[in-house]
Amino acid sequence: MDLIHNLKEVFEIDAKIKNDFQIEVEAKKELVSSILLYLKNQHGFIHLDHMSCVDWIEDEVFELVYIVWNPNTKKTVLLHTKIDRNKPEMENIDTIWDQANTYEREFREMYGIEFPGLVAEREFILEGWTEMPPMRRDFDTKKYAEETYATRPGRENAEDVREKIIKRTGEEIPDFAKKYSRD
Amino acid sequence: MSILNLKGILTPLTALKQMGKEPHTINFPDEQKNISKIYRGFHHNDLDLCIGCGNCETICMNDAIDMISLAEIAGEPGDSGLRPRIDYGRCCYCALCVDVCPSGSLNMTSEFMKVTPDPYDFLMTPGKDNPEAVDKLSFTADMDTSLNLFDRVPMRELDPEERVKSFAEVFLGYNEEEARIEANRCISCGLCTENCPVHMHIPEYINAIANADDEAAIKIIYDNNDLPEMCGKVCTRRCEDVCALQVRGEAVAIRWLKGYATTRAENAEMIAEIVKPEVREPNQYKVGIIGAGPAGLTAGYYLALKGYDITIYEAQKDPGGMIMYGIPKYRLPYDSIQKQVDYMKKMGVKIHFNTKVGKDISFNEIYDNSDAVFMGIGLQDAWSLGIQDEDAEGVWSAVEFLGKANAGETPDIGKRVVVVGGGDVSIDCSRVSKRFGADVFQSYRRRIQDMPADPEEIEGAEQEHIHIMPQTIPTRVIKDEKGHVKGMEYLKAEMVSEGGGRPRPVAIEGSETIIECDAIIAAIGQKANYELLPKEIADKLEMVKDKIKVNEDRLTSIPKLFAGGDAVKFGNSDAISAIADGYAATKAIDKMLMGK
Repeated sequence: MDLIHNLKEVFEIDAKIKNDFQIEVEAKKELVSSILLYLKNQHGFIHLDHMSCVDWIEDEVFELVYIVWNPNTKKTVLLHTKIDRNKPEMENIDTIWDQANTYEREFREMYGIEFPGLVAEREFILEGWTEMPPMRRDFDTKKYAEETYATRPGRENAEDVREKIIKRTGEEIPDFAKKYSRD
Repeated sequence: MSILNLKGILTPLTALKQMGKEPHTINFPDEQKNISKIYRGFHHNDLDLCIGCGNCETICMNDAIDMISLAEIAGEPGDSGLRPRIDYGRCCYCALCVDVCPSGSLNMTSEFMKVTPDPYDFLMTPGKDNPEAVDKLSFTADMDTSLNLFDRVPMRELDPEERVKSFAEVFLGYNEEEARIEANRCISCGLCTENCPVHMHIPEYINAIANADDEAAIKIIYDNNDLPEMCGKVCTRRCEDVCALQVRGEAVAIRWLKGYATTRAENAEMIAEIVKPEVREPNQYKVGIIGAGPAGLTAGYYLALKGYDITIYEAQKDPGGMIMYGIPKYRLPYDSIQKQVDYMKKMGVKIHFNTKVGKDISFNEIYDNSDAVFMGIGLQDAWSLGIQDEDAEGVWSAVEFLGKANAGETPDIGKRVVVVGGGDVSIDCSRVSKRFGADVFQSYRRRIQDMPADPEEIEGAEQEHIHIMPQTIPTRVIKDEKGHVKGMEYLKAEMVSEGGGRPRPVAIEGSETIIECDAIIAAIGQKANYELLPKEIADKLEMVKDKIKVNEDRLTSIPKLFAGGDAVKFGNSDAISAIADGYAATKAIDKMLMGK
């Protein structure tokens, strides 16, 4: 396919065909804006369909995915890139597509990723947020929910599955084992 | 601005192109919106399919799900009896609860509207409060999108052609990487613990393995199982029968994971170093134990930890009872048992080998000199086939045959062997015979799917080219002029279903068939031998059929005499039940003597 060949030629990256409509590409973060511009201007991928972010906490990276679409061929390119989770910074692309501004603003708030040069209010969906960006996997959502929201009356009869079974069997879990019980 | 602003005039007309198109708005409430096929609205739970594992509650990051008792659901092994209730004031409809539901009972529906003045109405028990929603399932817990890992990490094993050449262990055991992956499949619900006779702390030790803390896993495992390495190799693993994942996929390999963890401790010293059990100060009480099988060893080990003076009397020269003499070495190597017993000895358990109670020492001597006695004597005698000429030379009982094989001897079984039976012991006999070079035929009264043996063992036997002859009923041993077996006559059977019970084999008249063979091994069960008991004790000892009657504490009808293991157990007797008996008796004896 021309596109795959051209991407190899111009950017030395290997694109792979995911299915009839999707092509997947992975690139270094420095190349992302160039590739997106190239796709938009040379190959008709004029529409930024979506941007998303995955927190690979174990690998200490955030994965950003840019999804662009060509309305003539109905094909989609998914461009993946990985950035350092400990210094999360990515190039702003709202000069290529205006709507990227909103996505980037959301990433900044939810994952703490900085986009130097991004012109937008810092506060987006969250109000007066002072904690860790909440979409990071090390944010304890459950703890936050428990501490922040009142418990609706009528929930007092909740039971614990493990406790329920223990009541029936008489199992005695030693203290040293309890740290490995389900929360 | 030009007067002839054509664009301004024409642009509104472009709206005309929408005429004749389907409108995007609907006439609510007469019309309903067409919503996505995978819409995430209110939940529906199939209350019969749900096993109450609570995985939905655990995953819910909004703390919106409670597990509650419902009057109509009692709970049983494999079902906690609890069902999820959802606070729709908190639910954000993310559907993670559906994605992690192992049974597939919890789904979401296309229902999304509820109007009520009562805020408590938003606490809903899916399935109970909206049974009609079963027809409106939309976002469902499909296996291909589920976040559960339904496939277990396969166990590597010796090639069938290779393994019949020796008694080398067939299953090679998980390596570290395999164990971590397999352990991570566990959802830690704990349903398994109810089906384990001794109620091991399964979710805890699996979680420890998943967290790369093998030493913690070992310590947790030894808390209520003193022969876990044995269980990690040959346990009947009833825990896996009720694993939440087996509802739709493969159960977590609980047995292999236990095997993985316990074999990390390579010798008795390492076990002691890792387990570091709490040991009470010695007290003045003595407990005599008859039989060093799993029941006796367990009682001995845990009583020794509680400070009792323990002596075990064992008729054989090695410990383990049936696990030493009954289980073939390709399933449970000698060294593995020895290592675990060495550890128990380090903890203060004294064992007198080659000491047959009733012959080398009297029962009364033990009874009179002990503050409590525990009997784990097992089932030493075999049931006979009850057919003509079964006293011919070359007819073996399974106990006798496996006992010889496990003692390192080579039983003279010739070239063609018929094994009779369908349990684990019969499969053991067949596979051991194969390792002695025989062509093996296994006769079983019912169908292969009815065999009580572990399916993995049956599969192993088939791979080793053991010819299983289902629906065959032995009728006669055929012997030669010297009185030695030369064949067996059997009838073919058809399966008859009567009154809803499991189908019964009925012999087909005139279907007599003769199979030539050099030996017949009868593996149709064992019975106890109570010759060790003096008459006055035997007369007073209450029995149920041929088994010793015990109460919940494993106390017999005789004061301070406890019993456990195969000699008290009905149904499928196995090592883990014997361990559970020994463990329960430990607690009862401690309570009786120390009031603890």
